[in-house]
Amino acid sequence: MWFKASAPVLGDFEQLVLLGVLRLEREDASYGAAIRQEIHARSGRDVSINAVYTTLDRLESKGFLKSWVGDPTPQRGGRRRKFYALCPAGVAALRQAYRAFTAMADGLQSRLELK
Amino acid sequence: VKKTDPPRLAIWLLTRRLSAEWRDFVVGDLEEEFATRSGSSPVAAHFWLWWQTMRCLAAPPPVRRSRLPLGSSQRDSRMRTVFADVRYAFRVMFRTPSFAVAVVSVLALGIGANTTIFSIVNAVLLRPLPFEEPERLVRIFTRTPGGRLFELSPGKFYDWQRDARSFEGMAMYQCCGFRELALTGTGAARTVRATAVSAGFFEVVRARPALGRVFRQEEDTPGGRYVVVLSERFWRAEFGGNPDVIGRTVKLNDEPYTIVGVMPATASVASWTAMASDVWVPLALTDEQRADRGNHNRYGAGRLKRDVELAQAQAEMDAISARLAREFPTSDDRWGAVVIPMQEEIVGNSRTMLLMLLGAVGLVLLIACANVGNLLFTRALSRRKEIAIRSALGAGRGRVFQQLLTEALLLAGAGGALGLLLAYGTLTSASTLLASQVPRAEEISIDGPVLLFAVGVSMLTGMLAGTLPAVRAGRSDLNDALKEGGLSDGAIGVGTRRLLIVCEVALSLVLLMGAGVMIQSLLALRHGDTGFDPNNVLTMRVRLVDARYPSPVQRSSFFDAALQRIRALPGVEAAGTINDLPFADGSSQTLHLEGYPPQREPVAVQVRQITPGYLRAMGIPVQRGRDVVDSDAEVLLVSQDAVKLYWGEDDPIERRAALPFSKTVLRQVVGIVGDVKQRSLTEGPTPTAYYYTREPSGRATFVVRTSVPPAALAQPVVAAIRAIDPEQPVVDIRTMVQVLDDKLTPQRFSALLLGVFAGVALLLAAVGIYSVLSYIVRGRSREIGIRRALGARTSDVLRLVIVEGMSPVLVGVAAGTIAALASAKVMRTLVFGVSASDPLTLTAVGATLALVALMASLVPAYRALRLDPVRVLRAD
Repeated sequence: MWFKASAPVLGDFEQLVLLGVLRLEREDASYGAAIRQEIHARSGRDVSINAVYTTLDRLESKGFLKSWVGDPTPQRGGRRRKFYALCPAGVAALRQAYRAFTAMADGLQSRLELK
Repeated sequence: VKKTDPPRLAIWLLTRRLSAEWRDFVVGDLEEEFATRSGSSPVAAHFWLWWQTMRCLAAPPPVRRSRLPLGSSQRDSRMRTVFADVRYAFRVMFRTPSFAVAVVSVLALGIGANTTIFSIVNAVLLRPLPFEEPERLVRIFTRTPGGRLFELSPGKFYDWQRDARSFEGMAMYQCCGFRELALTGTGAARTVRATAVSAGFFEVVRARPALGRVFRQEEDTPGGRYVVVLSERFWRAEFGGNPDVIGRTVKLNDEPYTIVGVMPATASVASWTAMASDVWVPLALTDEQRADRGNHNRYGAGRLKRDVELAQAQAEMDAISARLAREFPTSDDRWGAVVIPMQEEIVGNSRTMLLMLLGAVGLVLLIACANVGNLLFTRALSRRKEIAIRSALGAGRGRVFQQLLTEALLLAGAGGALGLLLAYGTLTSASTLLASQVPRAEEISIDGPVLLFAVGVSMLTGMLAGTLPAVRAGRSDLNDALKEGGLSDGAIGVGTRRLLIVCEVALSLVLLMGAGVMIQSLLALRHGDTGFDPNNVLTMRVRLVDARYPSPVQRSSFFDAALQRIRALPGVEAAGTINDLPFADGSSQTLHLEGYPPQREPVAVQVRQITPGYLRAMGIPVQRGRDVVDSDAEVLLVSQDAVKLYWGEDDPIERRAALPFSKTVLRQVVGIVGDVKQRSLTEGPTPTAYYYTREPSGRATFVVRTSVPPAALAQPVVAAIRAIDPEQPVVDIRTMVQVLDDKLTPQRFSALLLGVFAGVALLLAAVGIYSVLSYIVRGRSREIGIRRALGARTSDVLRLVIVEGMSPVLVGVAAGTIAALASAKVMRTLVFGVSASDPLTLTAVGATLALVALMASLVPAYRALRLDPVRVLRAD
């Protein structure tokens, strides 16, 4: 429809989480703590684990992510991990957000003092 | 590297809070990251984990598929509301950290001070003594014909023990003053605190030995073997805790004592001299001593039978005393017996002082509450719009109330936690100071009841400070609040705020008044006339051991030689000895005058044994006649009050009198001396008789007047005494000023604390007045602007603000004066030399408070003056 965007808009934090999953899913390490550390290390935002899981859960319910549960490991006190991976809709949403951002920022690098 | 475990409390909280759906993933993730982080810095890892935990507790990931049974949904939603409120309160708190810091620190100060005092009260007054069924343990005294409590004479004690049926057991003991045994033969000579106890003493106290046994009945006789029971402390210090000490001997007073038992550490009670001993020995009285009814120098303790009330025991003792008075009219007439619970006896005079301090610190908390209430109120009003929107969206008044109260309680909780830390810090750093101020100080700790008290006080504070703002904010008019530029905040709740100022000022005045009279009382006692000159006087105590100095001649020559050596020291002006210094309990006796009929109602005077030089060393003036001299034998000096009591208008000089313990020796009065406060600083001078004898007892205190600072002479004087007998212990080396100061420690302690409380109260009141007035000025800025525009002068504006600020202050001063006069009743027993409702102090305190209030209102007044009328009016 003319008034509806092609894919639902992603929030700022949702983008970070989705990018985190995308970075980590190749190494089979896309679970909460790893995503949290990835966001912290790259963006400098020291977010809380509950915020990460709340967002992951919301993205899953929107159909952007899928999840599965791994086996318990001893270094986690015998607790299981929950892994996430991107669904096609998630990839599409990220792509749209990226395009929108780069298109809007194009030519402004010098103004934003990005070298 | 040692593996650090994550804090179990945090993990437990998380597993409780998180739904089953998320528990494994979240907790597992946190544990995993904690393990990596604790590798580099365990402390930082703990901080990190707790931070994460708090965030999770406040907002856990949502539960998607509710598996909860239907019945619990209501409870669950209510809990969620509470959680949501707490979460919101946290957010509000972090959004304006300066506000949170102000409120939390004021509360921490109030709650911390209260917790500190309560933990002292708890240890001293509330916690029972560490003996079995301590409520049945009593002290037994005689009551003198004059109505004073006094110690026991063996004759009376053994009659009571034989006849009283209310007691499971009764025992007699003698404390340090009489049986301070010198431990010799093991290195340096030192004095051992010893208590001599009658048979059955340990059974009465219910103190069971950790090793060996206690005394047998037959050991409490003069012919019995010399046996001793050691305290745990002494056993560890002297024998290294060796369990084979039973049967070995220890030399006390040059006599060998066989060790029969060791008491456990739990039996030591520092506040009860009998149980603070290093060692215990049998009292072992001779038959003659046992029959003595006149010498009241033993202490009595007893244990009531299980079903016997204190009043019953007292009644029985009264009946026995009445019968004994008929049986022994010369010695027992009008003497009585008094039974007092042990706890009450040990706590003694501290009770009133501690309760007064608890009351005072409670007032500080009330002032803190008023301050915080005012801050919360201001804040609630500035959030009027937010609250109005909530109400418009359907939040009931109860809901808004709950939200605001939650915030207040959260702040109070934080204040309480900080206050508890403050109390812990204070108690730890002041433990040595406390030990010299209150009995049972070694037992002061933050335990269950104290924690409960801190939590209770915090919650109460939160409710007290939070309720008023919450109620008032919930009541505000919706329409009004939502209108832009509507009635400005200042017009709201001004009445409530004025009331808070009135309360703060009134409470501060009560505290300042208390501190004022307490400090004056301390000064009056410290610098008041004692009858002697305490400056530049050095004192020290010796006790000659009977075994080494069996004859009076030997003792006399020891003291003569020692005094001669001391007087030869450079810097010594005069030196003498007395058996008991002023303020150390001493003998109190009746004189028998030669040539006068016996008095109908004999009055006892203080009786002290001195040597020549004592009066000069203490600076006690000889009013008439002369001082005692070395060539005298068996002479008396009497103080002016004693003359009035015994001789009336007659001149006592050259007359003779006898002392009750040696009625055959008639002593000539050679001089009249000045009156001295002999018994205590808080009582008036005591009539006293001094005697000089060639047969001195072995117990003496050297008193040395110096021309140099007295402490500098301590070592030379001790050396002079030791030169005569190197094995002679010399103890209690103090200047006379120190003796006075030690006597005043309770007064100094309460004056110090009250002063601190009053200072804090004054500060809080000033801050309160300042913040309320600033608020009012801000609210009325438009009005002030209009007035200025219409030509109001600087003085008019100044008057407007200062009248606004000072009127509640003056009402508060008036209310506080009434409250201070009412509380003077409590203070009356605690202050000396000054009236508890001293009008001068009251005026000074009121004026101080008004002045501080004026200063606090100057800043807002200055701000009002600087308001630019144009800008204020344009703001609309």
